[in-house]
Amino acid sequence: MGGGFRVLHLVRPFLSFLPEVQSADKKVPFREKVIYTVISLFIFLVCSQLPLYGIHSTTGADPFYWMRVILASNRGTVMELGITPIVTSGLVIQLLAGSKIIEVDNNVREDRALLGASFGVHCSCMLTPVFMLYLFEFLLNGAQKLLGILIAIGEAVAYVLSGMYGSVGQLGVGNAILIILQLCFAGIIVICLDELLQKGYGLGSGISLFIATNICENIIWKAFSPTTINSGRGAEFEGAVISFVHNLLTRENKIRALREAFYRQNLPNVTNLLATVLIFLIVIYFQGFRVVLPVRSKNARGQQGSYPIKLFYTSNMPIILHSALVSNLYFISQLLYRRYSGNFFVNLLGKWKESEYSNGQSIPVGGLAYYITAPSSLAEMAANPFHALFYLVFMLSACALFSKTWIEVSGSSARDVAKQLREQQMVMPGHREGSLQKELNRYIPTAAAFGGMCIGALTVLADLMGAIGSGTGILLAVTIIYQYFETFEKEKASELGFFGL
Amino acid sequence: MAPRGSAAAAAGMRRRRIVGGSSSATASGSVGSGSGGNMLRFYTDDAPGLKISPTVVLVMSLCFIGFVTALHVFGKLYRAKAGAGP
Repeated sequence: MGGGFRVLHLVRPFLSFLPEVQSADKKVPFREKVIYTVISLFIFLVCSQLPLYGIHSTTGADPFYWMRVILASNRGTVMELGITPIVTSGLVIQLLAGSKIIEVDNNVREDRALLGASFGVHCSCMLTPVFMLYLFEFLLNGAQKLLGILIAIGEAVAYVLSGMYGSVGQLGVGNAILIILQLCFAGIIVICLDELLQKGYGLGSGISLFIATNICENIIWKAFSPTTINSGRGAEFEGAVISFVHNLLTRENKIRALREAFYRQNLPNVTNLLATVLIFLIVIYFQGFRVVLPVRSKNARGQQGSYPIKLFYTSNMPIILHSALVSNLYFISQLLYRRYSGNFFVNLLGKWKESEYSNGQSIPVGGLAYYITAPSSLAEMAANPFHALFYLVFMLSACALFSKTWIEVSGSSARDVAKQLREQQMVMPGHREGSLQKELNRYIPTAAAFGGMCIGALTVLADLMGAIGSGTGILLAVTIIYQYFETFEKEKASELGFFGL
Repeated sequence: MAPRGSAAAAAGMRRRRIVGGSSSATASGSVGSGSGGNMLRFYTDDAPGLKISPTVVLVMSLCFIGFVTALHVFGKLYRAKAGAGP
């Protein structure tokens, strides 16, 4: 505890230089929130199309290809780092704190009035718990931001030095510094935009907004892209819909044209698009599954409420964690394979081969990395049933496990929810106060594990049907969009309630 | 004047907690969904630092975009000139 505190103490002088968005001192109207959100989104979109100045080339294998979905980053653009700095610093701090201090953190979020008592119980070694805690909390948030910025700088330097945009000799020192500056500043901007959205000026969180936008942009682009690509059969449009119309109009043999539009292999086809839409609808349908527990206020008579426990209790968290794990494994395995491809253990971890379709993209062809990758088609599944089975089992169990872990880490387990309800003076009619947790325990762990499994199964389904993007990507996008709808409704309802009174 | 101000501040505090925290009980009595709605939120409270208003953030970002675009334009111009000159 002391060590951690001292480290955080060291960063204190730097904190006063960190940019910090003011909290809204009055309630921001719904319209204004929408405007702020739209402008932030616009900035993000422009940044993720604007190429970096001074880069030499972005060809060659892209080792971060698998992470780009969850990190909202675009290669060769100003948004090269995407939300990596925020997410990494957040996870690092949570991991650091998780072992000892997560209890404190939860208490802070739940209720400041209870701080002294509960903190005193948890860490009786502290002399002035409340004061220390305030200090600590400020430092923690500040430290997180500082770490985010440091990570942005570190990654920018690493990207440039590793020759991702051409070697430093090719670029020239001036350009190299300019690239680093651009990447760092972009990182700071993303941090600020995220903070702006979270401090009550916008809707939802910046991170999820940016992830969802990136994926949706990808889907729209694959559907309507007007770029033409020559792949041996004459010029073809990249976009599925455009190519469909083009084929139907220009080809003489309409049946063949249709077949090509539906089943072409190397480019997005109409089947992929339909699969995407189908997955979208299925997820939305499942989002409605919930168990509603009636609760009642103890002091305000007649105040009835309900506590819904959703099937997707942890929402998209299992797949975020799963893809973080998998993409890190891919990254390490790829690096190792490039260096020591003869080694037995390296081959056990993964063998890689350049893909024939996407430019310079490696795909796993053996080892563990191969078995945790989705089979590319039904035909491949039939050819190698063990691969399919292993993938399915891995995906489902990883999602269920991550989901169960996440409720403990994030403070949404039965115990935490019971505590929350008790603090809000809510009871369940027909149950004693003590049995609240037991009652919640009947539903929450099951919902978490089963919901995680369902999310995993849907991801597998999306991958098998060949939905645009990847299964992970589309699942993330749908769940985030659904959350946005919920926020939207809630905001609107509260606004109406405000005027109705 | 003072009590009203403090009430407003208290309201602000409460609202901010609803925005940031996991406990979100609205006036109508329905309790927060308890789902993963705000699980990706990392900065929940104020930290000491250079206070800037949201407009400044947006303007700053737009300036940055303008700056990078200008770099591209000047880069092109400079290269054209350097190519034509010697």
